[in-house]
Amino acid sequence: MKENNPLSPHIQIYSWHISSLVSICHRITGILNIIILTLICFWVATLLFLIPNYSLIQNFFGSFFGKFIVIGTVWSFSFQILSEIRHLFWDFGIGFELRTANITGLLVIFGSFIMTITIFILGRGLI
Amino acid sequence: MINATKKWIFLKLSSLVLLPLMLWFLFNLVSFYDKSYEELLLFFTSQPTKLLFSLLIIFAYFYSALSITEVFEDYIESEKLKNVANKSLFLFAIIMPILTLLLLYKLSL
Repeated sequence: MKENNPLSPHIQIYSWHISSLVSICHRITGILNIIILTLICFWVATLLFLIPNYSLIQNFFGSFFGKFIVIGTVWSFSFQILSEIRHLFWDFGIGFELRTANITGLLVIFGSFIMTITIFILGRGLI
Repeated sequence: MINATKKWIFLKLSSLVLLPLMLWFLFNLVSFYDKSYEELLLFFTSQPTKLLFSLLIIFAYFYSALSITEVFEDYIESEKLKNVANKSLFLFAIIMPILTLLLLYKLSL
């Protein structure tokens, strides 16, 4: 049986708001994260299959592009973590007021960058 | 309980499990990504890393598959194409964690 579910309108006809920006980024990072996750699985596979040539991977991670990928991964995961926490509050009926939703949206956007920097500094032992 | 409610509950439970696991992984990722083969091998094959990483992979694929089906629901018009996309995604989300866990097990031997 053919279902006639309405489809979401194309994103270009929306006027941009913080809530729509966070919602779209939540979806984009969600898709990005499954791709990153798959790359992480391949990384584990290289430990088994590239034993004599693992230095190639190590050199890649040491390069600018490698570092960019790692920082991008941390940001994408951080965004999902904060956005998911926001969704969990919504599930309990907290934070639906327009002003609160805008503030938490901004917290997710700016918080994801702050979280990325914090994780990188603490994880690398720079402090 | 209808399927949509079950899906929502699974999505929320998996996200609750994933939050600390993702944080744990990110801290380790930034400290280990450029380490040598021997150091990484030791990291991935020792406990509790092996257990936590296995849980992360299982729950992350489960959560991703459930949430991406929502994107398919919103943006794919053709029912046939949507079914193919959903089934391919679920198959992928089952095969990838199994293969990775087998690799991890093999690395530990």
